[in-house]
Amino acid sequence: MESFRTKNPGDQPVWINTSNCKACDICVSVCPAGVLGMIYADSSTLGAMISIEHPESCIGCNDCELNCPDFAIFVADKQEYKAAGHSFAKLTDEAKARQAAVAANNFMSLEGAK
Amino acid sequence: MAFNYEKYLRIEKMPTLWCWGCGDGVILKAFVRAVEKMGWNQDDVCVVSGIGCSGRFSSYVDFNTVHTTHGRTVAYATGIKLANPTKHVICVAGDGDALAIGGNHTIHGCRRNIDMTMIVINNFIYGLTNSQTSPTTPKGMWTVTQKAGNIDPTFDTCALAIASGASFVARESMIDPKKLEKMFVAAFSHKGFSMAEALSNCHINLGRKNKMVSAMDNLQWIDDITMPKKKYDELSKEEQINILPTGILHHDTEADEYCDMNEEIIKVHQGKRNKITQDDFTKKI
Amino acid sequence: MATREIISTGNELAAIAAVDAGCTFFGGYPLTPSSEIMHTISDFLPEVGGTCIQMEDEIGAICAVIGAGMSGVRTMTGTSGPGMSLKAENLGLAQMAEVPLVCVNVMRGGPSTGLPTRVSQGDILQSKNPSHGDYKSITLCAGSLAECYTEVVRAFNIADRFMQPVIVLLDETIGHMHGKAMLPTKEEVKAGIVPRKSFDGPAEEYFPYQCGPTEPAVLNPMFKGYRYHFTGLHHDKRGFPTEEIETCRKLIQRLEDKVEAHKDEIESYEEFMMDDAEVMIIAYGSVSLAAKESIRHLRADGIKAGLFRPITIWPSPAEKMKEYADKIEKILVVELNIGQFHSEVERATSRLDIEGLFKVNGRPISPHEIVSKVKEL
Repeated sequence: MESFRTKNPGDQPVWINTSNCKACDICVSVCPAGVLGMIYADSSTLGAMISIEHPESCIGCNDCELNCPDFAIFVADKQEYKAAGHSFAKLTDEAKARQAAVAANNFMSLEGAK
Repeated sequence: MAFNYEKYLRIEKMPTLWCWGCGDGVILKAFVRAVEKMGWNQDDVCVVSGIGCSGRFSSYVDFNTVHTTHGRTVAYATGIKLANPTKHVICVAGDGDALAIGGNHTIHGCRRNIDMTMIVINNFIYGLTNSQTSPTTPKGMWTVTQKAGNIDPTFDTCALAIASGASFVARESMIDPKKLEKMFVAAFSHKGFSMAEALSNCHINLGRKNKMVSAMDNLQWIDDITMPKKKYDELSKEEQINILPTGILHHDTEADEYCDMNEEIIKVHQGKRNKITQDDFTKKI
Repeated sequence: MATREIISTGNELAAIAAVDAGCTFFGGYPLTPSSEIMHTISDFLPEVGGTCIQMEDEIGAICAVIGAGMSGVRTMTGTSGPGMSLKAENLGLAQMAEVPLVCVNVMRGGPSTGLPTRVSQGDILQSKNPSHGDYKSITLCAGSLAECYTEVVRAFNIADRFMQPVIVLLDETIGHMHGKAMLPTKEEVKAGIVPRKSFDGPAEEYFPYQCGPTEPAVLNPMFKGYRYHFTGLHHDKRGFPTEEIETCRKLIQRLEDKVEAHKDEIESYEEFMMDDAEVMIIAYGSVSLAAKESIRHLRADGIKAGLFRPITIWPSPAEKMKEYADKIEKILVVELNIGQFHSEVERATSRLDIEGLFKVNGRPISPHEIVSKVKEL
């Protein structure tokens, strides 16, 4: 049985559990900072999968985790993340613009298919 | 480390059988986070669910769980609670389960003001059985049993609960999971019957034929038809039609709670007898 | 064996039997002619710290009762024919999820609203299959005032032993009959309580529905550290829904076999003057009282009649009835319906010449009527 992945796999601000993701697009739609995007994935039921494209822009708002219906995306606990010597990003205009572009791109990642 | 969801979930059952983007999963998440905030021992909690997509809720959470017949969550929960009044009992039912076939039991659970929380996951349709009209389906929408458009007027879950005597009534939706979580915490903390309506999206059934094909479209529609209570109260009567107020709509901390009154009955009966008495007519042979 | 003498009615005796047998939860709804069970138990149950609740309808009543039973307590409801019809779906869930409970049905004229204040025995076939699907009903029938007490006590022990609902049939005559009953003492009843089995090993090793093919589920009370799932769907060893072919087949077969393989533990009947009987009367409930009286008359007139009285109606005493039917030519089934148990007698004995005396006008059958009918045979 695959781990539920609530444990941070390595000092990440945000990480995913692809075995739970159903490619509903909701997390991508609520991220304010263009961190996320959907990519094509042959093996998944809907042919798409969540991908973390710009973790460095993650502001730690937790909206993706709270709005995900399937326990497929998790955000680091603020205190723990800080104690490990990291900090979340601030929300920049560039990040907002990228998010708008991803939304306009049907929530598909702007980096192209991987 | 994120929030320890694993503690409260039967993760061997994941991923859930709910469709992609279904609000039930968001409500499940907010529920589990709220239980953690309450500090309850998992062994002291019983979750009773009905039939429908929301009925599968109980198999995903690691508590004492019961999956009942259609519409009867409150009746089963009443028996469980009265036999175990110190434990925490939570009902989870859909709009059809709670308001159509289960309407009577919902009304009387509210009336008795028995200490439990009822979460009505209202997605405005019968989802699991594929798109039949529910008591909350908006007028005019396409359903599989009313393809020319729904002619049935709709129910207001919260108005029904208030009129029936529930002492805590609140409504939130999955467009704001933080508010959902807060509502659950308030509902769980209240002593008495807590009605917590959680509006959800069913874009696969309701949405697909009613111009809300994606989860986000359906969520946008829910956003359009809801409004925080404070703002809602400022609208005119005409403006209020077809808008659902959100937040805590009713909160009475003075109302008598049923289990407490039942304890009084038990006390009153100690050492007293009314009609037939075993001892009056008994002869030992 | 010490006994106590009590003067009461059948309904009231059923109520106090429940309390004496350790019942602590009753959920009911007013329905003539069973309401007195609820009236009485609402006085006695709170005294022992139990709860009696009048629910908003018959379905609410059985659901509350099943919920309480799931949580681990001994629980009962009382009703009549129309209520049984309403309870059917949830009785099925109790069968499927293996929840013990006692359901007393004080039979009245039916179908539908029928004759609310008058007697019938028209729910025999309904008791065999109140709900849809395959399962094995356990139904007892009180044939005297004392049995209104002792059969309810027995029902609780059977329910806990087999982990399913047990139906106890009274009829309006016996439910409302007022007279003397010789009962076991409260202490005896208490000493005879056999509670349901439970598992006390580590929680990770607990599988409530993993049991031998002729054994019932072992359901621990709720809130004690053993968390599992109840459902009306086909389920696996932990109670979770499944559609797996073998699991589903084994589950349903076990619901049948857990009773069938051990029906000797449930079987109960009375043989009244059957040793030399040349006419066998088969009757149950209040009709058996008239039958016994009629046999005294018949014997005085030189006719060797005897009564075979099933006390456990389902599973029926098929083997015993066949044994008698193989040596007695004249068999008469007397009942207040149009041959519901008669058809079971035909099936069990493989005879199509079983006579019947049926009455469905809401009035009791008198000893006279039985005497006349027997003389015609």
